Amino acid sequence: MPEASNPAFRRAVIALSGGPSDAAIVRLALEVARPNRAELIAVHVVELDWTQPLDADVAERSEEAQQVLDAAEGIADQLHCKIESVLVQARDVGAAIVDEAAARRADLLILGLSYRTRFGGDFAIGRTVPYALQNAPCAVWVVRQPKGEEPQ
Amino acid sequence: MTAPRSPLHGRKLGDRRMVVDRPHSAYFRYAGPGVMVAKAAASAPRTALGRRIARVRSFVFGKPLTNAQDIEERLSKKLALPIFSSDAISSSAYATDEILKVLVLASVIALSWSIWVAAAIALMLTIVAFSYRQVCRAYPSGGGAYVVARENLGARFGLIAAAALMVDYVMTVAVSSASALANLGTAFPAIDTSKVLLGAIVIVAVTAANLRGIRESGNIFAVPTYMFVGLALLVVGWGIVNVITGSAHELPAPDHVISSEGQVVTIFLLLKAFAGGSVALTGVEAIANGVPAFKPPEAKNAANTLIMMALLLGVIFIGLTFVGLHYGVRATDAQGATVLGQVGQAVFGNTILFYLLQISAALILFLACNTSFNAFPRLAAILAKDGYMPRQFAFRGDRLAFSWGIVVLAAVAIGMLFIFKADTHALIPLYSVGVFICFTLSQTGMVIHWRKERSSGWAWRSLVNGFGAILTGVVFIVVATEKFADGAWMVLLFIPLLILMMLFVSHQYVASARQLEMPTSAAVPQPHRHNRAIVPISEVNRAVVQALNVARSITTDIRAVYISDDPQKSDDVRQRWAQAVPDVPLVLVESPYRALVAPFIAYLDVLDRTWPDEKEAPITFVIIPEYVARSWWERMLYNQASKRLRATLLGRSHTVVISVPYRRDDASARVAAEEIRPAGTLVATDDSRDR
Repeated sequence: MPEASNPAFRRAVIALSGGPSDAAIVRLALEVARPNRAELIAVHVVELDWTQPLDADVAERSEEAQQVLDAAEGIADQLHCKIESVLVQARDVGAAIVDEAAARRADLLILGLSYRTRFGGDFAIGRTVPYALQNAPCAVWVVRQPKGEEPQ
Repeated sequence: MTAPRSPLHGRKLGDRRMVVDRPHSAYFRYAGPGVMVAKAAASAPRTALGRRIARVRSFVFGKPLTNAQDIEERLSKKLALPIFSSDAISSSAYATDEILKVLVLASVIALSWSIWVAAAIALMLTIVAFSYRQVCRAYPSGGGAYVVARENLGARFGLIAAAALMVDYVMTVAVSSASALANLGTAFPAIDTSKVLLGAIVIVAVTAANLRGIRESGNIFAVPTYMFVGLALLVVGWGIVNVITGSAHELPAPDHVISSEGQVVTIFLLLKAFAGGSVALTGVEAIANGVPAFKPPEAKNAANTLIMMALLLGVIFIGLTFVGLHYGVRATDAQGATVLGQVGQAVFGNTILFYLLQISAALILFLACNTSFNAFPRLAAILAKDGYMPRQFAFRGDRLAFSWGIVVLAAVAIGMLFIFKADTHALIPLYSVGVFICFTLSQTGMVIHWRKERSSGWAWRSLVNGFGAILTGVVFIVVATEKFADGAWMVLLFIPLLILMMLFVSHQYVASARQLEMPTSAAVPQPHRHNRAIVPISEVNRAVVQALNVARSITTDIRAVYISDDPQKSDDVRQRWAQAVPDVPLVLVESPYRALVAPFIAYLDVLDRTWPDEKEAPITFVIIPEYVARSWWERMLYNQASKRLRATLLGRSHTVVISVPYRRDDASARVAAEEIRPAGTLVATDDSRDR
């Protein structure tokens, strides 16, 4: 058996959706980042449709959006770590996350994935994760929730 | 307002994103819908002076802790033992002396009674410890005797217990620091002249350590306590082995030995010896007061620590008495030649262990006051939450310590040192009187508690507590009678005064709460009262215009009032006012006696009197324009009359006072930005909206 060790990375972008898996991803990222003293950037993207201009005053005034990143900062504080937070408005979540990771020269992109089945049918992976896997210039980790924790 | 940002282009054509500002994130964190949590930066001082003071505070007391860190500050059993037990365990260093000093009055042979007296005290210690162990479990929110008495005997008895304990905690600090200095004085006689000052310095040092937080003070004070416990157990164990092996030889009588007066060994003499030795019990209740300071499970940990403390105290106390009896130690008047010292010398000889024992005994006597620094503030905080002490006592400082209680305890104890000139003999009669009142009340309370609860074993538990209540009650009567003339009367006088003070505070809070109480069922209706604004002015300037703009945002009934002792200047102001602010009436009040504030108040009175009786009195907004200079020393040059006016208007009915600051920086910017207009065309601008 090869020796298990944390893969080294210097800067990671954590994409937060505001879902129930956020806290677990942040904790995981903090624990992995701590030994390497890696930099963590939490990114939450508020998606705007084409009925609103991109610079519409939406995310800044949205408590809900701010709270997603504040919760991540709170977890970091509890663990005596630091995390940078970035709130973004964009037309497409996947593109914004990948672009933000590229712009910040991150060597790792971490995404959470809730275990979701549509109408009791097939497992649905959504659009964001496949986009990130196809387009991110860096390594991508997808942290899937256990099956039993599917949000109602 | 944040500056608009331009969109960032993505890696693919058409992908654009906007990074949004998070202006709150430096100071606050959203914790839920409509709920924000302030970060450290929000509490940080804004001025340069404030930041410097904060740095000094942080250096002396440590960095501020958050409420969430409370759990990290909780005490493990290992750390709690020295913090809460230094008072109780230190009493084993002198309790045997107190017994021998009484028994020797009969005869040297009567000293053999000491072991039986010590055994009786140990029995009482067991009962009291057993009782407080149950208190820890039954009342995990802390408060000890106060809470037990309050819950089972009524609020008044609770207050008696609280007052008695508080007096005793103050005395513990004063006596322990005075007695430590007295011991030190035997080695260094030069300090005798400045004992009070040194005592005060020592108390300030212990205060500072406690203000750093309970865990840190525990780390500081743990070593001497454990050193004493270790050495005292060693001397007792070694001494018992010597007694068993027959190598314990009777010591020669020390200097200054107390001579026998040939009294007969009566019940009263034994009771007196019992009461004297009962000082060993002081501090036993401290753990029950501070249950919430323990790590979870708080009640269990506190109860176990209490048992460990009682066990150590009992073993050291009985052991010293037993070994001392077999070595033939005698009570003396000489400083330092205590029973512990004599036994230590007999067992260890003049070795390093003997000197370490003496040093650790001096240190633990000195640190006995630390128990009070932990128990008093907690008790005061519980009383404050119950409305019997000012609410400040319940606030926790930067390091989660009850800073007010700590500082007040230190201040009162230093005051006692000054009043009694740090004289141990003068202070001791005031000591250990109150603690037996609270023991008696807590034991009695527990009897009622068991009878009410009727849990398994309630009958024998209430029997034990009942016996304990009688025993501690008897000790209280003996101690109070013995020490009454020597100064205990002051304690017995002070306790009711303290109770009256607490009842007064409670009465005030209850009365104010009743006045502020709102009906819970109905929504508060919109007010329909008339508002009027009065703007006192000293001249026509930008600060006044800004104040008028604030007044305009409140009401249309505005008038400016100019009080003057110079008719010529009044005319100038009137003319300028008519040009600059023609829509607001100006009232000129000539003041030939040169007073400013009083005529203004009189004018308000006249306005009130002219208001129709059938209409509800209007709310008068007094809007004071204030020029705010850049630095604190410049500010002394301005607004003195405004300050007096504000102070005078404070509490005036139907009156709201508003200060409208006009900052020097604003003034400079405004003058630079605006074009120069001819005199009399001053334009009112809404500065408040800019802010």
